[in-house]
Order: sequence, then C-alpha cells, then structure tokens
Amino acid sequence: MKRLLLAGVALAGLVLAAVPASAAEKLLNASYDVGRELFAQVNKAFIEKHPGITIDQSHAGTSKLARSIVEGLGADVVTFNQVPDVDFLVKQGFVSADWQKDFANNASPFYSLPSFLVRAGNPKNIKDWDDLAREGVQVIFPNPKTSGNARYTYLAATAYAKEKFKGDEAQVKEFVSKIFANVPVFDTGGRAATTTFAERGIGDVLITFESETQGIAREYGTDKYQQVVPSVSLLAEFPVAIVDKVADEHGTRELAKTYLDFLYTPEGQKIEGENGLRVRDEKIAAEFKDKFPEVRLVTVEDAFGGWEKVQKDHFAEDALLDEIYGNR
Amino acid sequence: MEVRVANVRKEFDRFPALRDVSLDIRSGELIALLGPSGSGKTTLLRLIAGLERPTTGKIFFGDEDASSKTIQERNVGFVFQHYALFRHMTVADNIGFGLKVRHGATRPSNEEIRRRASELLDLVQLSGLEKRYPAQLSGGQRQRVALARAMAIEPKVLLLDEPFGALDAQVRRELRRWLRDIHDTTGHTTVFVTHDQEEALELADRVVVMSQGQIEQIGSADEVYDTPNSPFVFGFIGESSSLPVRITDGQVWIADRPIGLSAPNHPAGDALLYFRPHDIELLDGCSGCIAGTVAASRRVAGTRRVELEIGGERQRVEIELPVDHIATQKSRIAFRPSRWKLFPVKSTGN
Amino acid sequence: MADPEIKSYEPMHDNPSAAVTESRSARTVLMTVAFVFLGIFLLLPLIIVFKEAFAKGVGAYFASLNDHDTLSAIHLTLLVAVIAVPLNVVFGIAAAWAIAKFEFKGKAFLTTLIDLPFSVSPVISGLVYVLLFGAQAMLGPWLKSHGIEILFAVPGIVLATVFVTFPFVARELIPLMQEQGTGDEEAALSLGANGWQVFRYVTLPNIKWGLLYGVLLCNARAMGEFGAVSVVSGHIRGMTNTMPLHVEILYNEYNAVGAFAVASLLAGLALVTLILKTVLEMRYGAELAATRGH
Repeated sequence: MKRLLLAGVALAGLVLAAVPASAAEKLLNASYDVGRELFAQVNKAFIEKHPGITIDQSHAGTSKLARSIVEGLGADVVTFNQVPDVDFLVKQGFVSADWQKDFANNASPFYSLPSFLVRAGNPKNIKDWDDLAREGVQVIFPNPKTSGNARYTYLAATAYAKEKFKGDEAQVKEFVSKIFANVPVFDTGGRAATTTFAERGIGDVLITFESETQGIAREYGTDKYQQVVPSVSLLAEFPVAIVDKVADEHGTRELAKTYLDFLYTPEGQKIEGENGLRVRDEKIAAEFKDKFPEVRLVTVEDAFGGWEKVQKDHFAEDALLDEIYGNR
Repeated sequence: MEVRVANVRKEFDRFPALRDVSLDIRSGELIALLGPSGSGKTTLLRLIAGLERPTTGKIFFGDEDASSKTIQERNVGFVFQHYALFRHMTVADNIGFGLKVRHGATRPSNEEIRRRASELLDLVQLSGLEKRYPAQLSGGQRQRVALARAMAIEPKVLLLDEPFGALDAQVRRELRRWLRDIHDTTGHTTVFVTHDQEEALELADRVVVMSQGQIEQIGSADEVYDTPNSPFVFGFIGESSSLPVRITDGQVWIADRPIGLSAPNHPAGDALLYFRPHDIELLDGCSGCIAGTVAASRRVAGTRRVELEIGGERQRVEIELPVDHIATQKSRIAFRPSRWKLFPVKSTGN
Repeated sequence: MADPEIKSYEPMHDNPSAAVTESRSARTVLMTVAFVFLGIFLLLPLIIVFKEAFAKGVGAYFASLNDHDTLSAIHLTLLVAVIAVPLNVVFGIAAAWAIAKFEFKGKAFLTTLIDLPFSVSPVISGLVYVLLFGAQAMLGPWLKSHGIEILFAVPGIVLATVFVTFPFVARELIPLMQEQGTGDEEAALSLGANGWQVFRYVTLPNIKWGLLYGVLLCNARAMGEFGAVSVVSGHIRGMTNTMPLHVEILYNEYNAVGAFAVASLLAGLALVTLILKTVLEMRYGAELAATRGH
C-alpha cells in the first residue's frame, strides 16, 4: 500500500512540476558554457539596479543551446560566443535578420581573440604566429572539425598568413599546414586541450581565447604559465540578441532590451573586463590597459568576407580546412 | 465432501488437455489419478482445485456448483509436486499461513494459530521443527510440512499432485503408508495424482486410469488389474504381452493355426490377445497352443523371464517361467494363456 | 626438477575440487592481476576524486558545496531519484510479473522493449523525448497551448531518467521470478490468500533481495545519468542542472574544487549504496542463505 501511495505522490509531483511558475518579471539568458562566472556577476549587478527581477542562466555549448531554443527552451535572450549560432536562430525564425543592428558594435558588447599561453619563462621564445610554424615547437589547440574555439585559431592563423604572404594561397596553405603539423594531439574541445596542455604537460603553447588564458593561469598557477598576445589576431565577437519569438510570447521584450543594454553600460563593461574580456567603452578599456596588451585585430568580414563565405571556403566538406587537416 | 466432475473439457490454446471427463468422488474416499505424463491427470486435479477453469462442463462440491468459484472459495487443501513451501517462512509460519490470511472473525488469534500449527506438526510427526526453514529440511520432511500446511485450513477436499514424486524409493514407501494412516485418521476426501501404478494400487480406494485426456477405467486396485477394460489399461497397469489374432467360429487363431482358446461371444475378425506373462501354462506338444523361439532370457527375482518370437512375423511376447526351466537360446517353447482378454482391432480409418 | 614439482600435481586424485585448483603461483598471479586492475581502474580514480575535492582544504570544499547552484543541483538530483526510483519499482515489478508469470501475445516484444534503454545510447534516449515533446514535435504545440512544460524542465529530466533506468528493476526481477515460477503464489492462493496478501507475504519476500539490488542500481543510475539528462535539461543553472551536469559545468569553468566536491558527493553516494547493501546482506545473511537454497 505504501508503495502505491508513494507512486501516486510521485505522479502528482510530476504533474505539479509540469505547470510553470507564474510569469513574473523574469528572463532566461542562454549563454556559452564558460560564461557562468561572468553572468553571475553581471546578473547580480543588474538585479541590484532592477529589484524584483529574476535572471535564469542556461549554460552549454551555444550550438546545442540554439538547437534547444528551437525545440522549446524558453530563452528570452542569447549571449553566445559564436555568430553562426545566432544566425542559425535567424534561419529558424527565432531572431530577426538584422539583429546585429539592434545593439552597438555588431551586437557584441565585449570581444576576445585567439591568444597564446606558454610555460613560465617562455623557454621556446614564442612571440607570434611565425613561431608556431617553427620546427620543434609543439602547439596545442583542439580539433577545428569539432571545436568552435579552434576554428577561430585556424582563421586567425590564416588571416595572419594572408597578410604576410600578400594573399598567395599556396604559401598561406603551407604556413597553416606547418602549424597543424606541430600539433601532437587534436582534442575534441577547448577544455580537453587545456587538460592536455596543463595536466598532461604536453606542448609548448596553448592557443585559446584570451578570456580563457587568464582563467587557466588562475586555476593552474600564474607562476607556471604566462600569456603571450600575438601581433595580429582575429576579432572574436560575443554576440547578443533578443530571441524575438520567445520574448514576444513571454512579453519580456522590454526587459530583455534593458538587460542587454546593461552589458554596454560602464558598470557592465567593467565586470566584463574583470572577467578577461576586452570591452569597447574607452574609459573602461583604459582601466584595463595593463591587462590587455596592444593587438591588431582583423574581422571575419574584412579578412574572409563574412561567416557564410568562411563556411563555404574553409569549413565545408572537402574545403580548405579538410585539405590542411588531411595533409597533416 | 463429495466431488462430482461432469462432462468437463479443458483446452489450452485450442489443444484439448481433457476431453469430456466425468468422475464421481465419494465423501471420505482416497482416490488416485493414474496415467502417463500428458494424460491430463494433473489438469484434472487443478480443475478440481480451481487453479484452472474448465472450458466446458461443471464441477460440483456436494450439491453446489463450484465451477465458477475461485480457489479461495473452494477451500481445498493442495499439496504441490515440489511442495511450494514459502522459503522465507519458518515451518510454523508456513503451516499457519492459511489461518493468518483469513479476515475478520474467521481469523484465529496468533496464539491459536501457533497452537494449531504445533498440533499439525505432531500429526505429521515433525514436532520440534517449528523454527526451521524449508531449506533446512529433508525432502520427506518438506513433504510432510506441505501436507500439514494444506490441512491447516480444514479443507473440504485434499488434493495432492505427485506427492512422492521427488523422493527416493525408501522414503516414498514410508510416506505412502503414513499418508494412508493420516487419511484414515482424518477422513478427508483425498485425490492424488501419480504416474506410479504401484503407488496408486497400494494406496487408493479407487484408481482412475487416464490416457490422452480421457478416463480409461475407474475401479479398485483389483478391478483395474484383473479386469482391465481397454488395451491401454492392460498395457499400463502391470505387465502384459499382446499378439495380433483372428477370431473364426468362436476360436482364436494365430496365422493358420487355432491356439486352443475359444471365444464364443467374440465377433469374428481381427483382434488383439492380451495376457500377463505369469498367467500362462506351459505345454509339451503343440496342437492348439502358442509356440515360439526363445530370443532372450533373463532372471528376475524368483522367476525367469523369457522373450519368445512367435510365427513368421516374429512377434515378441514375454512369459514367465519357473527358475529351473532352462530355456536355452533358439529352443522352442509352447504355451497357452490361462487368463487372457481379447480386444477388437479398431480399423485405422476410424 | 625434483620431487616437490611432481608432488604438487598429486592431490588431484583425492581432492574433489582438484580439477579447478590451480597451483600456488598461478593463484598468486591471478589475485595480483585482479587487485592491481581494481586498484588502478577503480580505487585510484576514487581516491583522486576526494584528493582533488579537498585540494584547497576542507573549508574550500564545504564553501563550494554551499553554492546556490550546487545546492540546487543536489536538490534536483534527489528529487529526480525520489520520483524515478519508486515509479520504476512499480513498473518494474508489474512488467516482471507479467513476463515471468503469464503467457500472452506480445510477450517477446515486451521483453525486447524493456531492454531498449540498455541498447540505446543515453543521448538517443534524451533525443527521443526532444522529438516527442519538443516545440517542433508532435506533442509540443499541444503542451505549449496548455501551459505544460516538459522539455527543458524538471518533468523532462524525470521522464528521461525513468526511461534510462527502467530496465534495472525489471531486468533484475524477471530471471528471479521466472526461476521461482508460480508455485508459491498458487500455494498461497489455495490457502485462501487474496491477491494483495499473495504479493505482500509471498511474492515480495521471494524477490526482495533482487528488488533491493535493482533499486540500488536504479538509484545509482538515476542520480548519475548524464547523457539523456543533458539533452533534455536545457542547462538552466539553479533549475535544471543535475549533479552530473553541474560537475561538467564546474569542471569546464576551471573550478576543480567545486567539480570534484560535487563528484565526491556522487562517489560518496555510491559508497553508501555499497555499504548499505553489504550491511543488509550481513544482517540478513542467515535468512538469505536459507532462502537461496532449495
């Protein structure tokens, strides 16, 4: 009898849990998977200014999140680390086509770039992309076939080579192939590559977002690693957008806009800067000048003609990346 | 309690396990359902118990139609072939189970249940084993516990499925006598299933011989042994030999020779002659006899068993001879059955 | 090659188990292999989990557990287990009973169906629910218009967990019940017990060890499931992250202490499960031995 009762209670619980709480002033922000600390701080600051509001966070790989939103995950806003994943939502009719005009700087309140982390003292004297193609240097970054992070690395190296060889495709290919040849292990994701570099002690240099190199140094000890920023790198935008379809359903458009706008305020920009991200607000950027060395950034638009073209020329089946990755 | 089985048919997935079986069991009777495996004897027992429902036909307990009653309502004591003792309960709890699950006023107090269990253990001569678990008992002891458990609910009818099937020969014989004693003491109407004719003949008031879902013969041990009414019963109970014969002018013939047996009331035509190996007389010469060549001979306890090949078709029969008969290989022996029975040959098309 | 060498083979004649008794050296090798293997593949990782969890001291350990999101993940995991395990006990007993004790059409199909979660990758199990309840799926629009959230909410996590843990109880019970047959139940019926009494006094005690084992396995998996839950969770922190999902998140954020602290809870749970099982077996060992023999 007890058992039946328990089952009954369980079923009732299931039904009760299925009914959502009343739609108070509440937002769900779907965000990239290592942005938890950043948004915990952002949300805290935001709520202080707008009491009574709840911000829920969903963190995962942004491709997965985009997929989930299409399947019904009720995210009012997205704060991703890859533009193509927002474009996916555009194609599915969840985000308006001109989303990049809704907020300043291509709807990217903060940005980062592929950067280097080397072992303390920089024993191999790695300064720039040229050093990665040198013989005897071991380079660690994940597999660009599976990792968005590594695609930025690939594009940054390619962009550098394009400038260096004045667009000579054969030389660019040779240069990037040399870097690929120096990679002893291709892990599937950024986290695994970090493990390979930091815990297995493989490789002379790890390439990942600058925002992450700081976290890694913090976790594994600043005395063991040091950051090296190359002379040129690729602008990695962190796009934000209102998920129109969901926000309209929830009646949260206004709040969503206020929230994303907050990311551009000096207060928001300061939190972002503290979390290793570069910001556009000049005053705040000046505050973090020591933390972020000068670097010249090229955009995907300028160097490659936009994400769609990148997809076609580099990442599609049998495109450039496949040739280089296959030639290793 | 009288039990009447009336025209019962039972099918499993269209396959008939019992076909039109009728049986009257008298109150206080000890009755055996005897037959080879697949004869339907266990099915009949389970139908009486209420573990199965008849496809057609009725079962009466006394004057009451019990066909649609559940097994709980029928109040039968059932002893399962492998005892089905509750392995996680002590002997005493096993025996008291039927009383413990009763409801309301009919449920005796725990004290009373314990007392009854102890009484029944006395009856089955297992006093002092109350606290044991079934796994700690011998096969024979488990059998007794199973019986005590079945009797605890004061059943109207006691049903036993192959009660001694899993025991060795020595224990079987002891328990057989013991079961008869218990029956005589308690006077339960008792039905038990067995494939062992010795057990059935020795123990039962009446034996129900079954074959292929039908009752072949019902009768006392003497009746089914001495006057079997079908070739099956003749063959299944006791030992027997059979020969194909022909009846002409009230005489029994094998091939072209009369064998000195007259059957004036038997219709002319082909028949089968049945006799038991020991119901024969040896003859010297052969005018009106069965003669055969010795094919095999072996000593069985106080007698000699000889296999003979009869006639051109070399039909084999077995006869029993005195031990001092030499019966050498290939020698010829002539005999004539002293007790025998003829069964007409059923034409195969029917 | 003197006498002792030969002597070691001699006991084969009088020792009944000699045929399966290896020489001393072989035994030592086998046991060493077993222990080393277990040590490297089971014990060592377990120790490392705890070592990492306490790497920055006991204070840091408890501080990381006292995090709001972590507490919420623990709470959700317990909730899911509390719902999923009883449901699967009921379903498992019902299914095992039906398969072991009755003959019916579609029995083979049902047996295969029960095994399905074992043979399907957990990720696929999760995707099945996405395809069923997702906004683009058959039931999605209907659920939405009725204001019922399944996917990316607690009910979806519970459903996915029920799905992947379904076979544990049923699979444990089916062979047991088949081996035991229907004899005991028929005996109880013939003694006047009603259906509930038969279950309560006969069936349940007969299967209780198998059931307990099934429940422990089911619970361990319910709390530890990652793949299927990851697909349907939506990863809303503080709301739909279970402990295993939370471990991954913390680990990806380079929060090793936090990740391994939560992992240590899961590992501790496994240890408690194991100890519980051992204690029960010791305590009821006599009865267990008695009921196992025939």
